Amino acid sequence: MKILRLATLLATSAAAFGAGETPLLDIMSKELQRNFAALKQKAETPPYFMAYEITELESHGVGATLGVLNATGDSRNRFLDTTIRVGDPALDNYRRVRGDNFRFTSPQPVPIEDVPNAIAQRMWLETDRVYRAAADRLIRIKTNQQVKAVARDQSPDFSQEESYVHIGKPATVTFDTARWSQQVRDWSGDFRKYPDLLASSVQVNAQVDNRYIVNTEGTRVTDGRGYARITISASAKAKDGMDVSDFQAFEALDAAGLPGADVIRAAIKTVGEHVEALLTAPTAEPYAGPAIFSGRASGVFFHEIFGHRIEGHRQKDEAEGQTFTQKVGEKILPDFLSVTFDPTLRKVGNVDLNGWYDYDDEGVKASAVKAVENGVLRSFLMSRSPIDGFAHSNGHGRRQPGLEVVSRQSNLLVTSSKAVSDAQLRQMLIDEIRKQNKPYGLYFEDITGGYTTTGRAGVQAFKVMPVIVRKVYADGRPDELIRGADIVGTPLASFSRIMATSDRTEVFNGYCGAESGNVPVSAVSPAILISEIEIEKKDSGQDLLPLLPSPSKGSAQ
Amino acid sequence: MKRCLISLLLAGSALAQQSDAVLDAMKAEMARSTSLSLGQLDKPYYVAYTVDEAKIWSAVATLGAMMNSDLQTVRIPQVRLRVGDYKFDNSNFSGGGGGGARYDLGSFPLEDDAVAIRRYFWLATDSAYKGALQTIARKRSALRSVTVSDQMPDFSPAPAFSLFKSRAPLTFDRKLWEDRVRKASAVFSAFPTLRVSAVELTVIDGTHRFVNTEGTVLRQPQELGSIQIRASAQAPDGMIVRDFQGFYSAKVSSMGSEADLLSATKFLAEQTVKIAAAPMGENYSGPVLFEGAAAPQLLAGVLGRNLHIARKPVGAGAQAASTELEGRRGVRIMPEFFNVVDDPTAALFGSSETDDEGMPSRKVSLVEKGVLKDFLRTRTPVRGYSDSNGHGMLPGLPTPTNLLVTATEKTPVAELRKKLIDLIQQRGLEYGIVIRKLDFPSSAPLEEARRLITSGGGTDSAQPVPLPLYIYKLFADGREQMIRGVRLRGVNARSLKDILFAGDDNVTFNYMENGAPYALLAGGGSSAEVSIVAPSLLVDDLELTRMDDELPKLPTAPSPLTAGQ
Repeated sequence: MKILRLATLLATSAAAFGAGETPLLDIMSKELQRNFAALKQKAETPPYFMAYEITELESHGVGATLGVLNATGDSRNRFLDTTIRVGDPALDNYRRVRGDNFRFTSPQPVPIEDVPNAIAQRMWLETDRVYRAAADRLIRIKTNQQVKAVARDQSPDFSQEESYVHIGKPATVTFDTARWSQQVRDWSGDFRKYPDLLASSVQVNAQVDNRYIVNTEGTRVTDGRGYARITISASAKAKDGMDVSDFQAFEALDAAGLPGADVIRAAIKTVGEHVEALLTAPTAEPYAGPAIFSGRASGVFFHEIFGHRIEGHRQKDEAEGQTFTQKVGEKILPDFLSVTFDPTLRKVGNVDLNGWYDYDDEGVKASAVKAVENGVLRSFLMSRSPIDGFAHSNGHGRRQPGLEVVSRQSNLLVTSSKAVSDAQLRQMLIDEIRKQNKPYGLYFEDITGGYTTTGRAGVQAFKVMPVIVRKVYADGRPDELIRGADIVGTPLASFSRIMATSDRTEVFNGYCGAESGNVPVSAVSPAILISEIEIEKKDSGQDLLPLLPSPSKGSAQ
Repeated sequence: MKRCLISLLLAGSALAQQSDAVLDAMKAEMARSTSLSLGQLDKPYYVAYTVDEAKIWSAVATLGAMMNSDLQTVRIPQVRLRVGDYKFDNSNFSGGGGGGARYDLGSFPLEDDAVAIRRYFWLATDSAYKGALQTIARKRSALRSVTVSDQMPDFSPAPAFSLFKSRAPLTFDRKLWEDRVRKASAVFSAFPTLRVSAVELTVIDGTHRFVNTEGTVLRQPQELGSIQIRASAQAPDGMIVRDFQGFYSAKVSSMGSEADLLSATKFLAEQTVKIAAAPMGENYSGPVLFEGAAAPQLLAGVLGRNLHIARKPVGAGAQAASTELEGRRGVRIMPEFFNVVDDPTAALFGSSETDDEGMPSRKVSLVEKGVLKDFLRTRTPVRGYSDSNGHGMLPGLPTPTNLLVTATEKTPVAELRKKLIDLIQQRGLEYGIVIRKLDFPSSAPLEEARRLITSGGGTDSAQPVPLPLYIYKLFADGREQMIRGVRLRGVNARSLKDILFAGDDNVTFNYMENGAPYALLAGGGSSAEVSIVAPSLLVDDLELTRMDDELPKLPTAPSPLTAGQ
């Protein structure tokens, strides 16, 4: 299951190092050569490839509720990931075998100071551990090869790529804790205006991730970037026990790039009003009919139902649903739609994108991938795990420290040649409601995230959790907010029902969770009109409201 | 121990005011919580709130490099709520609790704002109340199908107790201590054959706040200075050996000096290297001399953890985690020359004014002339006892504070060795065994500890017995030889009766008890300060068995520390 979510926690982490020199990379290179040479010379099953990646994380954050600080944290860590491939590129220890999950690497902490022996010692022991696990699995795979049916995709396990040398400047983070503490205190105090909220918070987090990658093919990459984020959230419980909540987040490369007080206070007002409105909104009934997804909602929709299904490694895993594996060159979307994944894009308009990077976690240079052109599937997202017809990486091998790389999404961009204004799109929805003779249509204004099952054992379905959903009536009545609706569907059917898009794109920044952990991503899309979408009742609590009135009632308003 | 260089600023020393905004907010919301009710269902009869506040400095270094260095500020709230009455409430039930209402409580306010603090407790209490109602309903339902032989009350009433203490915040010289930790970790660089080593610092400047509906109000400053040193090595046959030393102080200002730290680190490094180089031991049956820290370490497990009576909860398949000394009051459990007292008032690391239930900690005479007289008790009534003596230090595990084991017949320590030699000669043994340190608390990783416990067959103790670390064969001519790879077998509370002689020494051993097997450092959870003071012990008829685990291979590549040599 893959989950896209907006991180509501103060993400831990991130770190800048020294004066732009890279002694760490030299320590890593030296240990890499030393271990590779020793293993090649002495090991029974020698490795043919090794790589180290050290991720250095430094983070700072503060959070407050109702004018009072309730979170503060700073951290700085380094984690080592070790990759060892034994066998040969055609068949190595990373071979995907149905029903056999594997993980060699672990998030091995290493010193945050560049003392060569201190770092080298941890690398050496971790290398030994990973090597043994790798050699063991290769033996098991070779046995397995002889007893299982031949897989359809006979691609090699590891692609040949050029090596890259890129010494980027490490990113640094500056965070004025005192100033931001006062900001979150002030801002979170605005939620006092909404006495029916049970919880609310405003958090600010700034971090940097610097990555150091070396491999035995000569790649030497250091690359870093910052992340800063303000998250605003509030929740409450309706009389029937249903939890309602809303959430807004703002991302930037660093804290200085975050929006100012006006924008934040307006967002707090929106969130507070949304939650109060949701408390009294009628609950959703199961329904199928025409709907508009806002740009942000559409972004998540594409991320879930399309993006995860074109991650390359899924195409050769016999346990996967492989919705699109055999469809390259075929039409899978309406011909007015194209989808590109572009990790090199840092901004859309003036909005910073979350899913950019220069090099992926295998040290391969990031590049834009035209996945769908005019409705026709052209390419998959590729790491260095080749599949039929795609022998090379396109720089989408990603992970969170401690997990194995797989192909993942970056910045997803939906473009349309059938774009109309928002007003026209709404009129098209109303026309469609009339045509289908439906009591109403739906407008999905905002969305927290979603998930999808791509495994063959599960149903090839997706679920998207909208927070703000409105009924749109064809007879001129105003839109009506409803609560407790989840969107469900299956990918191929849903795509075929996209009728048109708006001419204005929106950005959804978030963190996507899958096999290789949480990675930052973005989804950029115009609003879309769909002729039929299904909603179901949200699984929600039956709890009673608090038995006693709030202690702040009457005192803090 | 030498006075260290921490500057403890007693700024604004006139902190005598008796008000505390957090405590006031806790009291106000607790008072309101007593009015909770839901139809005809049980009402709360006891509510307690805790807020543990702390600044925690931590730093870990290896081979002269910092792994991480953090300063955290935390406030950890806790709500305890009982419905029904003292006789029958929602506790002592194993059938799983009700989850209560789920609220997005977020984090507890770090600032003294009454509204925010009360709002947190308001929702947490509401959730606890609903959960307690579900639990008591399940408990009643479970009781319909079982008969409980002992109808003990669920909770013992206690008189109100107040304590209001303040002190100025600690001023902790972070840089000085980080340098010190870094420097100590660099000592290991001179021992290139070690596998992994680390020096860890934790300093806590905290305040414990507790209120309950019986009128108890506590505000107690808390302080801890801890330095933990660990190292591991791999023997030529592949066995991984470890050593660990913890230095714990209830006063940060009395943490050891740099020179002490460096020499302790060097000693530990040398010992680890020696253990790895020592030959494997063999199976052994005969007398064992526990010298130095090994004696209190042994007693921490076989005595300290057995000095209470476990309450069997109601519920299908409820396990009575019975202790080995249960039902043995008035019975001789040790030789007649032993007395055991738990004294929370003694000026030792484990000293304590109150326990986790807000009860004043009382001195208890546990063993007199070898005869078991009393148990460490909490507010949960157990067979034969209905009141607490203030030893509920950890949730569900009554724990010693300062456990003082004294002998009225003392043998000079040097004499103990002679006694051991006499014994082996009488019995025709080739050698006797001297153990100077046990792996307690253990620095073993969780996975390894699990393996040790499950492979520990042959021991009929409720507590897995720690592995011996510093083990020596003592030959009749007085010669000693270090060995490794043997474990104690069949050691339990009954072994206490096999103590032949006690030394004239008094070794104080401090540790953090967390209830985990071997008090595993990786065991996590809450922990309580414990001091065990005991003389060296010569114990008869113990068994050591050779460990025959599968051993990891030596790394293919040499260590980077030896590679250039």
